[in-house]
Amino acid sequence: MTTSAITPARPITLVSHIVALIPGLLLLAAVGYAGKLIEQSIAAYTKAHHITFPNIEYVLWAIVIGLIIANTAGIPHIFQAGVATYEFWLKTGIVLLGSRFLLGDVLHLGGISLLLVAIAITLSLTFMHILGRAFRLKPKLTSLLAVGSSICGVSAIIAAKPAIDADDEDASYAIAAILALGAISLFTFPLIGHSLHLSDKAYGLWAGLAVDNTAEATAAGALYSDAAGKVAVLAKTTRNALIGFIVLGYALYWSSRGEAQKVGNKAAFLWRKFPKFVLGFLLISLLATLGFFTKPQLTSLTNLSRWAFLLTFAGVGLRTDLRELVKQGWKPFAAGAIGEVFIALLTLGLVYGADSFLRL
Amino acid sequence: MSNPANSSQHTISLDAYAVLLALILALLVRLNLVPPIKW
Repeated sequence: MTTSAITPARPITLVSHIVALIPGLLLLAAVGYAGKLIEQSIAAYTKAHHITFPNIEYVLWAIVIGLIIANTAGIPHIFQAGVATYEFWLKTGIVLLGSRFLLGDVLHLGGISLLLVAIAITLSLTFMHILGRAFRLKPKLTSLLAVGSSICGVSAIIAAKPAIDADDEDASYAIAAILALGAISLFTFPLIGHSLHLSDKAYGLWAGLAVDNTAEATAAGALYSDAAGKVAVLAKTTRNALIGFIVLGYALYWSSRGEAQKVGNKAAFLWRKFPKFVLGFLLISLLATLGFFTKPQLTSLTNLSRWAFLLTFAGVGLRTDLRELVKQGWKPFAAGAIGEVFIALLTLGLVYGADSFLRL
Repeated sequence: MSNPANSSQHTISLDAYAVLLALILALLVRLNLVPPIKW
């Protein structure tokens, strides 16, 4: 009797949950599409009037429109659940983007990325801990900032927080600092890449290795060029795949000091922390390599991934509340900013080295 | 900003749903059940 009383409620809950997402989803689509229309309108106008003007990708317009809305009118409660789905669209887009990679390319570029990621993570974790001491940050806040800036931003902080028993406050500080620094990277990386005349592959690899959050790394790549965006996603996905190992390392360190719970089964821990969308990306890439899709079908899958990213980029702007970031205090931000500059320079050097010795 | 304490579990299911949606879309495209997607 109890079961029959509960069961009918489930579909209603699911339906009401989905309905609650609709306003925010429409806002994401409207902001993203407005960015696309602005890009097309400027391109059409400059072409018609024979004006030479650099093409500004819709990505930038979508982010700027989102930032303006979030920091002026704010996001009313009714839109918030739908706007929060931007990360879901990011992951769906990345899995679909797997169709644009032959598995051989994934192994070649992914292998180079893995080598560079291993070097960059080791050096940047060490540097972030030196900075944490210099700024007298709490040790666990330093650990979270180090994980966030060297692996994959907010997701890494969220994965590490329960594993090292960090405070909510420390996690919020670290997340705010990483989000602010991610927003700055979006505008600085393409400018630096163009001024250094980096190739699409070299720039994409750099953005994927240095920009923290997956959404921002994807956007920073797409802002440079379509090809750079593709490489940035692959490099960032490789970095994401290592999240479990680093979080496990921190969990073991803090539990050995008696300040976090003991880790039981290490393999199960790694699997829990492993970003499963990486497997989806590899599966679609394998299917594309085996000729499962025709050429027009591959074009459709690429375009589907572009539409998913359009929703993501709108969400990047809409969820960045600059007022909230200002409230968090300057120390974590300053330590994070110095760390980011170090990581950006380090990874740029690694990319130059890889370009010369490993042929990207 | 999401509550980090709740987001760990959320992330796992989010990944699974994203992979599921992408695979369903890929299958629909493969079986020509959706018209060509334009950009």
